[in-house]
Amino acid sequence: MSREQVGSGVNSQEERHAAIESDSLPDIEEGRYLYCAVRVTEDDSRDENLRNGDALDLETGGVDGEPVSVISVDDIGVVCHECDGLYDSDDLAQVKRWLVRHQTVVDRAGEMFGTPVPFQFDTIIRTDDEGVREWLRSEYDTLEPTLRELAGHWEYRIEVVETDPLEEQRLLEEDEQLADLRERIDDSGSGTAHLLEKQYEQRLKQLRADRRERIEADLRARIEDRVREIHALERSPNATLEDGSGDSTEASVDSGETLCRFTVLAHEDDETAVGSVLDDVASNPGFAVKFTGPWPPYTFAPELGGNDG
Amino acid sequence: MTTIDVGDGENARDGLMTLVVTVVELLIEALEREAVRRMESGDLADEEIERLGEQLATIEAELEELKSDEGIDDGVDDLRGDLDGLVRDAIEQLEGGHSEHKRPGYSVFGGEDE
Repeated sequence: MSREQVGSGVNSQEERHAAIESDSLPDIEEGRYLYCAVRVTEDDSRDENLRNGDALDLETGGVDGEPVSVISVDDIGVVCHECDGLYDSDDLAQVKRWLVRHQTVVDRAGEMFGTPVPFQFDTIIRTDDEGVREWLRSEYDTLEPTLRELAGHWEYRIEVVETDPLEEQRLLEEDEQLADLRERIDDSGSGTAHLLEKQYEQRLKQLRADRRERIEADLRARIEDRVREIHALERSPNATLEDGSGDSTEASVDSGETLCRFTVLAHEDDETAVGSVLDDVASNPGFAVKFTGPWPPYTFAPELGGNDG
Repeated sequence: MTTIDVGDGENARDGLMTLVVTVVELLIEALEREAVRRMESGDLADEEIERLGEQLATIEAELEELKSDEGIDDGVDDLRGDLDGLVRDAIEQLEGGHSEHKRPGYSVFGGEDE
């Protein structure tokens, strides 16, 4: 089977832009929308309920209400539904509903089969059921070990928020340079004082940034031993899907400045150990920690179907 | 692509004023940083430092007054935030795609020729 990948999130930006700009979305006709890959047992693969997706117990179906099924080869399978086109809409609410359904199906598959390898939204294989089996066979050597290694591991997200910013007074007591500047300001003419004030502000900003970096490095060092992988994320998320997070154990932290964000891949048995490190951080006055998960390992899934067409 | 919208008609004047004031504010901050650097390096005599500081303080005060007279304090803050985002995005693009997984897109496998 030949494969081509068109403008996906795992492909190069140029190709994707070209696909979008030319406004020529690919025709699908007969396709399978893929949610995730899972490990199945032999009993599972003979189970009629499983094949037609009933075992996933999805009352409202998958994306766009489509009936979801599981196609398997040996001990690996994909959760998918039949489709004849891309899911593309200018209506943000519609896209959000699709995304939530996608996530729900992946979550449910995770509960049923253990840690899945989740696919990005709108991942479609242009073929029929038999073609999907063929694809599974050809990707077996990537998928099988990945699923085996991911078993029992989940993605967790960590965000450290400073609810009460460190007072200037404390920094002034701790930092000689800052104290010296304050003194010089008091002894100077107004013009010089103005420039010294600017320098004082710069120093203050620097000290706060240093402190943030210190906290981030410290936290990373302390959780590194308890997780399999760790990634730092941008300090401000650019999108959330809060209403899709059915399984999150999210603490509500409404105000404050985000000091750092991490996403980690950890074994479910180590969840408590990671949590207790975070408890230590959160017990510092003026700090709060958001810890969410377990999520399917979206950040840690391997690239599939690259340029081997 | 991020654009700066100065609005039209009645809003155009405010939008343009916000843009100009924001740019001037950024310029003054750059000048102040340079002044601080020179002050610390010992290149300037005390009187020069005092005079430079006075001038910058005066400009800054006038700019603050202008912002409050025109009611564009918030507008300037917003625009500065947007510009920060623009610069951050540009830097990230230079550094290369480490945030691939966050980008929306679609994937289609399988050719027409099957």
